Amino acid sequence: MGSTNYKFIGRDIPRRDAEIKTKGLLEFSSDIYVPGMLYGRIVYSPYPFADIEEIDTRDAESMGATVITPKDVPRKLFNIRLVSVEEVTFKDWNVLTMSPRYLGDPVAAVAAPSEYLAQKAAEAIKFKFKKIYRPVLDAFEAMSLDAPAIRERILKGEQEVTVSKNVGAELNFSEGDIDRAEKESDVVLERSFKTNRRYHFQLETKASLCVPEVDGRLSVYTTTQTIHNTRILIGQVFGIPLSRISVKRIPIGGSFGSSIQTNLVTLISVALCLKSGKPVKIVLTREEDMYDHADYEMHLKLRIGAKRTGELTFGEMHNIMDIGAHQVQAYPLLGTALGWFVSLYKWKNILYEGKAVYTTKTPSCAFRGYGAPQVSWAVESLMDELAEELKMDPLVLKLKNYVGLGDVFWGQGPTVRSIIRSDGVKELVERGKQLIGWDKRQPPSAKKGRFRNGIGFGRSFHTSGAGGPISGEVIDYSGATLKLNEDGSLDYITALQDHGGGTLEAHAKIIAEELGVPPHLINIVPADTSITVYDVNTHASRGTYVGGEAARRAAQMVKSKVFEAATRMLPKAVNPEAFKIRYDEALEQAVVYIEGMKDMKVTLAEIAKASWQRNWGTIAATVSYRATSAPPTFTVFFVEVEVDTYTGTVKPKRVVAGADLGTPINPKLAEGQLHGGFVMGWSMAYLEDTPYQRETGELMNRGMAVDYKIPTFEDAPSIEDFKVIFANTYEPTGPFGAKGLGEAALNPVAGAVANAIYNAIGVRFYTLPITPEKILESLSGGE
Amino acid sequence: MIIKFRLDGRDVSVEVEPNELLLNVLRDKLGVKAPKYSCGIGECGACTVLLDGEPVLSCLTLAVDANGREVTTASGIKGEEAEMLMKAFAEEGAVQCGFCTPGMFVMSYALLHEKKRPTEEEIREYLRGNLCRCTGYVNIVRGIEKVVEMGGKK
Amino acid sequence: MMSSLNRMNTRIIPFSFSYHEPTSLEEALSLLSKLGADGKILAGGTDLIVKMKARQAEPRHIINIKKIKELRYITVDEDKIRIGALATWRDLEKSSHIISRIPSLLDAASVMGGVQIRNMATIAGNICNASPAADSAPPFLVHGARVKAMSEKGARFVPIDSFFIAPGKTALMPEEMVVEIEIPLPPPSSSSAFLKLARTSMDLAKVSAAAYLKVDGGTIEEARVALGAVAPKPIRAPSVEKELIGKPATEETFKNASKHVVKDISPIDDIRSTASYRKKTSPYLVTDALLTALSRIGGEKR
Repeated sequence: MGSTNYKFIGRDIPRRDAEIKTKGLLEFSSDIYVPGMLYGRIVYSPYPFADIEEIDTRDAESMGATVITPKDVPRKLFNIRLVSVEEVTFKDWNVLTMSPRYLGDPVAAVAAPSEYLAQKAAEAIKFKFKKIYRPVLDAFEAMSLDAPAIRERILKGEQEVTVSKNVGAELNFSEGDIDRAEKESDVVLERSFKTNRRYHFQLETKASLCVPEVDGRLSVYTTTQTIHNTRILIGQVFGIPLSRISVKRIPIGGSFGSSIQTNLVTLISVALCLKSGKPVKIVLTREEDMYDHADYEMHLKLRIGAKRTGELTFGEMHNIMDIGAHQVQAYPLLGTALGWFVSLYKWKNILYEGKAVYTTKTPSCAFRGYGAPQVSWAVESLMDELAEELKMDPLVLKLKNYVGLGDVFWGQGPTVRSIIRSDGVKELVERGKQLIGWDKRQPPSAKKGRFRNGIGFGRSFHTSGAGGPISGEVIDYSGATLKLNEDGSLDYITALQDHGGGTLEAHAKIIAEELGVPPHLINIVPADTSITVYDVNTHASRGTYVGGEAARRAAQMVKSKVFEAATRMLPKAVNPEAFKIRYDEALEQAVVYIEGMKDMKVTLAEIAKASWQRNWGTIAATVSYRATSAPPTFTVFFVEVEVDTYTGTVKPKRVVAGADLGTPINPKLAEGQLHGGFVMGWSMAYLEDTPYQRETGELMNRGMAVDYKIPTFEDAPSIEDFKVIFANTYEPTGPFGAKGLGEAALNPVAGAVANAIYNAIGVRFYTLPITPEKILESLSGGE
Repeated sequence: MIIKFRLDGRDVSVEVEPNELLLNVLRDKLGVKAPKYSCGIGECGACTVLLDGEPVLSCLTLAVDANGREVTTASGIKGEEAEMLMKAFAEEGAVQCGFCTPGMFVMSYALLHEKKRPTEEEIREYLRGNLCRCTGYVNIVRGIEKVVEMGGKK
Repeated sequence: MMSSLNRMNTRIIPFSFSYHEPTSLEEALSLLSKLGADGKILAGGTDLIVKMKARQAEPRHIINIKKIKELRYITVDEDKIRIGALATWRDLEKSSHIISRIPSLLDAASVMGGVQIRNMATIAGNICNASPAADSAPPFLVHGARVKAMSEKGARFVPIDSFFIAPGKTALMPEEMVVEIEIPLPPPSSSSAFLKLARTSMDLAKVSAAAYLKVDGGTIEEARVALGAVAPKPIRAPSVEKELIGKPATEETFKNASKHVVKDISPIDDIRSTASYRKKTSPYLVTDALLTALSRIGGEKR
């Protein structure tokens, strides 16, 4: 809607950081070096589940290393993620612990002048154990009566709570009458699904550098999606006033949710810095990083009912989440998983039970999609089964029942609800269907021979932010400062992190559009916590929708001040509201003007210069903004696969990806999100998992990338076979009609792939990933 | 021991231990941070540099093996073709988080030196040792193809 | 006891060693005889340095042989192709005019690692690493390669069939090193092929297979089949070979013969795949390799 009238929005403008990134000149946290810096190394327990009696640091210290153990750090429990409000934040973390509950729980740390010396000092630390327990690697085993208690007491907010049967958090919900609905159903399906425990495999391993400044302040450069929450946590844990801590916004080499929380490495670098009085940098090894974070492994039992007409009658979901050894956002995710479930289809009657269960594995944290890829895979698989049962086209069944325009959307669970105001699902399905050739699709029974092709469809969505009309359990607001420089260029200052999707580039274009200033004249200021107003996090696909709107509002405020200043330069104009601002192609700059009056025109640069020369003062604005809505970005994927029934190998042959993201601000970058989303989703469906050794509690791959596979250039579909379409929609609550995209781009993929595999070979899989091994097993021999 | 080599067009000399890796010497001692540590075992290509013009993994190369040779990183690649690649990467959206990008750049450059008109299949084969978690690879291939279409090397 | 997370460190080589950089073969051999099992040859480094970072190898002495330039060659004699100890996978690809006589080896090169790995890794290193999944092993096995091992005492030739002993273990004595691999030039009307199944295009094999065929007038005169990653070492498949020789070179023959491969293999479950999967796919892979090899006979190689 109207995007063609925009000067900058919707046009492909190469991002400004591309060249310095390509040349390797842009510095990531791990690239920052300061004189006199020490290198840190974290020390772990050889047993995943143990209580330590004593840590002997003498040898390490005699080597000249700075050593910290649990007695050097505050004892009070905390949670490394600060997005939820205090009352529902479950706290079971320490910086270092005497009671490791998985192999990656840090028990000590060292710092030395080189990585090699730090390594040697780390190797010299010795432990005496009080008690060693067997690892608990299965959520159901963990809930059994004879399983040892992984945690006994944790904090919920400031309150101590007792953990029973290793269940760290619970959330139940019901609406309507399931029993009655079941009686009225013609078809009831029940299936159990298990998702894979994926590892984010962001290219940059977690890293942190903490620098003590000469005046005693701390500067922190770290891999984070939120500089403010990282600062607050450092302040809370170490009891330092926030005004004494500056966390820098540093480019991050991918994250995908793994730094929504403050990675423990950050706090450890601070602790080592405080003890040594020197700058300390720690960069995790890939193998440590694989023990730092993983996705939530969900055991989902679904029951759904429908009438012969295809009208859904009820939906029930039981969600047992294996959260590993710590809570990051287990409790909020229990709610969010429910939110995804109820926002996919109109179940009418709903029952939900969610449990977050501790095991002695790597702690689960958000992973792009925040449970939606998992829930969508299960629901989209089951809806296809239901369609088959009802002898309906799955597209028809899904379009009939989906939650869309005018319905209530639970952006992030029960406390974040808003009304859907833009919805391109039907358009995307219609166009996608044509492009993939859906109507020519054959049932599995029609497929013969060694190589069998199948077409599958999956749909989902993701929220844009976690805002809403009321303040719920989630903190969600953003901020922006914009100042007009003396020559008419602008400085844009935000705390919001760009993961690489081009979020800040989008902000610059939004400001450009609002003020008619070309994007290259808008400086995205390297920022830190000291000079920015609060922004909660770049997560929940909120960067463009919430952060972008904050930027737009700052631009609007600047604009009205510019108009006031313009009245001083064009004294005949009595009302500043009569002014407009636009980009003037001929002048190649912004001009302020009154429509239809040729002489009522002044450039923004002239206004900026006058404000300076005439002592009118700086034109600037700072905004703190919370969205009143969290609209869904709808996505659909049509995928064609080829299954080799002799080897079980599956190849993606053709992909049609459709997104309803409102106005695409950077079309090419938006396309890139869908490309990346597909490959990540493909990998989730087909490749990834992190199995553990039963006896030792070790990752089977020991953290080595050689045995954690993600797709390569050759495993991804070719350019010609990958089509991206955008729906023609406009989100009235978003900046220039935009919604978020990062996560929606992934969420439907595993469901679409699973449905395509089914269409090829007629077998459904209820455990991810769907490996060639499982496929061949199911075909019993493959002939 | 002291080793001497040419790094991105300048002569350097640096004292190293035999167990030091080229990657760490470039980054820690010589301040060239384009090659990145990511997997540490040759699976991802983020540490790729050219050694006497051939792409190698600096995370699996002893620094002493650079002695007397020429090391080129993403920061040191120059010339018209490099400019075209950089521009095409930017225009086609080949760059997202940027952590893998220096490695991708080195490989794309090496490829265009080896083959003037690589097909999409050949591009994908040549770069398969470089992992990217953001882009799904499509726009990187597009970027390289754009340079190929423009005639690549002049 | 120390956490393996602390012993391993893929950012650095987490221990020190004495370093030797011989410039001649004689010097290298004399170092080897002096150091014995304490010394480890470093060539490409793509296996050894990974093992060192993971602390699976902790040699006290590293003998870097890269300076012995004369070991880097690929040549052809009257009746054999000779691959020097420092020849890399990329050297192999670039010598395609020679190696095209051994098509299965070129197949292996095209699916082995990425370009960077192939620039660094040597062919000799691939066999010395003795991984059951080594990509070069099945081609060498079906082409009857032999390994020239040298020590100060002199050279000996080890047939490739008896070179591999166990995972990571070869027939080399501690004081010996591989200086060359010899492959007999195959006769006319013969060809070979290599295929592998892996999780991604950058992976070790779940199962790999090579086949060599010599066909005369439609009848199989010679047949050799070898597999990787289905036994503690790369192996030949005599049960299959037996069923091929003397039979017509047809798809049916190949299919029937390939079924017998299960008698020759003893696969296990590991992180990459399962024993059952390996058993099920081996026959198909062998059939495909045979078909590809056959298609190459008489026609264009590759």
